Amino acid sequence: MRAAARRASAGSISGKALQGLSIAAISGGLFWLVWIYGSSLRDPRYLDGWLLAIGMGLQLYFHIAIKRGTLQPKSAQRWRKIHIFVGYLLVAAFISHSDFSLPDTGFEWALWAGFVLVTLSGILGTYLAWSLKARHGIDERVSFERIPDRCAELAQEVHDIVVETDPAPTLFALPAPPHDAWIMDLYATHLRDFLEGHSNFASHLIGSKRPLKRLTDEIDNLSPYVDEQSQEKLSAIRALVIEKDRLDFARVYLALSKGWLFVHVPVTYSLVVLVLLHILVMFGYSAGLW
Amino acid sequence: MWRLLLTRSVRPPGTPAPPTSLRDRLAMQLGIATVVCLTLFFFFAKDTQFLMPGPLSSAHGAIEDCGTCHASSGSGPLSWAHGLIAGDRRADSTACITCHKMPNTAFNAHGASTDVLKQSTERLMRIAAKTPAPLSARAQSAAFPTDGITERGVDCATCHQEHKGANFDLSKLSNEQCRSCHVVKFDSFDGDHPKFENYPFKRRTGVIYDHASHFGKHFPEVAKKDPAKRIPDTCSTCHNSREDKRVMAVAPFEQTCASCHLDQITGKERASGPKGIAFLSLPGLDMKTLEKKRAAIGEWPDSSEAELTPFMKIMIGRNDRGRALLKSVDRLNLQDLSRANDAQIKAVTNLVWEIKRIYYALITGKASDVLGDLGVGGGARPSASLVADLTASMPRDVVIGAQQQWLPDLGREMANRKDVKDTREVVQSGGWITTVAETRSVDDDEAPAAAETARSARSDRQTGESAASAAKHAVAEPEVAKAEPASAKPDNSKAADARPPPKAADQTDDLLSPTPEELRAMATPVKEASPPSPPLGNRTASAETPVKASASPPAETPASSDAAPARPQARPAPVISIESSVDPENWAEYGGWYRQDYAIFYRPAGHKDKFIYSWLFLTGPQAPKGSKSPAGTIFDALTHKDAQGSCTKCHSVDDIPRKGRVVNFSPASLENKKGRFTQFIHEPHFGILEKRGCASCHELAKDRPYLKSYEQGNPKSFASNFGVVNKDLCQTCHTSNMARQDCLTCHKYHVNDVITPIMSTKIPTE
Repeated sequence: MRAAARRASAGSISGKALQGLSIAAISGGLFWLVWIYGSSLRDPRYLDGWLLAIGMGLQLYFHIAIKRGTLQPKSAQRWRKIHIFVGYLLVAAFISHSDFSLPDTGFEWALWAGFVLVTLSGILGTYLAWSLKARHGIDERVSFERIPDRCAELAQEVHDIVVETDPAPTLFALPAPPHDAWIMDLYATHLRDFLEGHSNFASHLIGSKRPLKRLTDEIDNLSPYVDEQSQEKLSAIRALVIEKDRLDFARVYLALSKGWLFVHVPVTYSLVVLVLLHILVMFGYSAGLW
Repeated sequence: MWRLLLTRSVRPPGTPAPPTSLRDRLAMQLGIATVVCLTLFFFFAKDTQFLMPGPLSSAHGAIEDCGTCHASSGSGPLSWAHGLIAGDRRADSTACITCHKMPNTAFNAHGASTDVLKQSTERLMRIAAKTPAPLSARAQSAAFPTDGITERGVDCATCHQEHKGANFDLSKLSNEQCRSCHVVKFDSFDGDHPKFENYPFKRRTGVIYDHASHFGKHFPEVAKKDPAKRIPDTCSTCHNSREDKRVMAVAPFEQTCASCHLDQITGKERASGPKGIAFLSLPGLDMKTLEKKRAAIGEWPDSSEAELTPFMKIMIGRNDRGRALLKSVDRLNLQDLSRANDAQIKAVTNLVWEIKRIYYALITGKASDVLGDLGVGGGARPSASLVADLTASMPRDVVIGAQQQWLPDLGREMANRKDVKDTREVVQSGGWITTVAETRSVDDDEAPAAAETARSARSDRQTGESAASAAKHAVAEPEVAKAEPASAKPDNSKAADARPPPKAADQTDDLLSPTPEELRAMATPVKEASPPSPPLGNRTASAETPVKASASPPAETPASSDAAPARPQARPAPVISIESSVDPENWAEYGGWYRQDYAIFYRPAGHKDKFIYSWLFLTGPQAPKGSKSPAGTIFDALTHKDAQGSCTKCHSVDDIPRKGRVVNFSPASLENKKGRFTQFIHEPHFGILEKRGCASCHELAKDRPYLKSYEQGNPKSFASNFGVVNKDLCQTCHTSNMARQDCLTCHKYHVNDVITPIMSTKIPTE
């Protein structure tokens, strides 16, 4: 099973590498093409500009097809890959079109900002999809809307476990170590804030497990010093903490997965308007030289 | 999760569209907001500069109105929309050349003419067709051929791409860009750049200067003969790079050549022949034959052996009649007319009167009017300064003096001819101020009346009654002559008496206009009592005093009847009675006019003599090699091996097909270098020359037929005194990691230059 997963993972990585190499190669080819175009006494901004416009049209077609529901799921999957692939190539075309420099005028800044926002949001979405896939995702039974309730339940469960006292000391009136107080102290110091809030956004964004490990280490460090019953408590708390961390991760990713499109799509609409004007103005001032 | 998201957004075909989501509504609102914002921008922005794709270059930075350059796009906020409709694609480039002036070939590749481009391409193909093209060049040619660009004309923006920032170099052009159009493509200068072909000798030098013979022969001889003379010891004695740094100019004549060659120009060293150029003459005629045949030529010196000068030929040949006349006498030996038939005698007679008419016109009129309609210089009327140069500001007294000595009866003869119709106006031309006389030729059917007039005049002269009145009629009172030509008034003496005297206001210059005494002298030149005296101190001329013979006018003249028959001059006019031992030619040793042997000579005044220069300049274009036209005769006379002034001893003559001949007087200048694809600036190279200096590149080649190459007219057929410069020599420095080797180091695109002239600014007025 693991071997199959490793093979699948290895296949995915090699596919990604191939895709990356293709993007790099095509981008390099594009730069070279633009260079020889410019060297042949033509304005290279026309070549990379038209390539950029055609690419953006292709991306826009994907969006329109999605909105119109004309794509079958399988076809949509393929188009999504093309969408991402073309998106990376458009970054190269855009860099070439802007002549590897920042804009100078207000209108150019608007175009630049629009393209950069659309591109970055797209890259974020791609990253999210990739990182989810890399971590084998989130429990599909969990919906974004139920996460706060489930977090509250977990917090209550941990609290209940912590406040439950051990009846044994009353039978034997001998002095014993205050295991419950230690667990209470652990809860108050490290666990309560974690369980009651939405923690570690940045860590989840980059897939870091360090905050979770710090908490579990605290629990594990206490475990050898408590009796067997308390150890069972700590074990239950540990499981609930891990569950809370998973919910936090799911909440971050599900929020981002919804949120990036709120940037990607509306800014694309605005960018389309700006690009259309840019093309018209460019044509209007070019005296037919393009 | 991604899959979930996707499946959520993709619905099967045919299913109804889901209600618009918040995200879609937001997208639509943002799109509309963008449109609204842009619309507001267009309406409230003060100009359309916010649409600029980048700042203008520094040179154009002050231009605020987009329509200044984008001619078809206008200046209004939305006027650029006009550019969306196909219009004149050349409009923007045309706007460029409103400030940056270029020739008509501005939009040709290199701004050169099609012929030049074709020749250049053919030459390149000949010398470098097999040059291997680099891979990138081949790919470029295959993917983006440039044939169309050059065929439909190269727009300015093809190379000069604006809106790339204030510091962008608009004139920057990469080697690859240059290469893209060229049929011969190579990688770099130190790579496969074609070898130089006879560089830098595109054409021979304008000045013929045999370095080898001067270095090896003349300088040592001069140094030996006259050690005090300054002999050049370095190249920089004569050559220097001027401020423009491109032209290795030669120092002025006075600093370099004058010490040895000035006397050749002024004629001091001339051993034989006249030292001056015969400008006007009275050609020698076979007077006996003319008298025998009763040719009515009036008075004429019978001792003249002068030739008809080419300058006179051009004056006579200024109209069809004159050209026909010259043609008819062209093959005649004027000094032996014994075999001439009546028609030829008549032609000679007409020639004589034409010559007299010229003298008469030069005395009564202005030089500018005599020379103004010569038809030289493409028919355009020469300017005042050119006329001054063409006549070397010849004083009228020179002509008057000649007339008094050679044709003392000219005034009477011309006054009695009915064909002289004066139309006069007061004009000032240079230093020669007089009145204008326009002559009209006489037709044969008017001859009887003219003969009558001539007889009347002769009668007057014999009786001495009306000489003054005739002179007045001829010279002093042109206004009346204009209104009443001599032919219409045979009794002109009475008419002249009735006329009022000339008003002072009618005289343009009292000092230079003939005095009444002069006029009387002109009009009554042959008073019986006046003893002859040696004219103008010229003993040679005095020795050739015309034969004192006078023939009675015959009743009928067989050849021409408009004047008295051939009448050798009775006696010379008394002009000067002071004897001088100085020959007129030597008297004018520093140049100027002198009279000798029935000719008026001009002796060159020195280097850059305007008289010779202007005649060469004027006649050259009409004087292709071998031309027998009057212009060609003058040009040949002034440029032959022994010509006075010796201009073409040093200044080469180019024989240009369909453009005649040109004497290269202009020194080397940037103007001369227009049209060249290669430029070399000497100055930066001075610092790297070692002991050999100029000889590092310019090796003296003694054995080449340098002078021989100037014996023909093609300036491109040339054998220099110096060896050619090879590419290898340049490549010692211009190579990778050393000196620049990009195309624009040595080549320039706009071969005919681009200038930005001063704008036309009206002088402010109140």
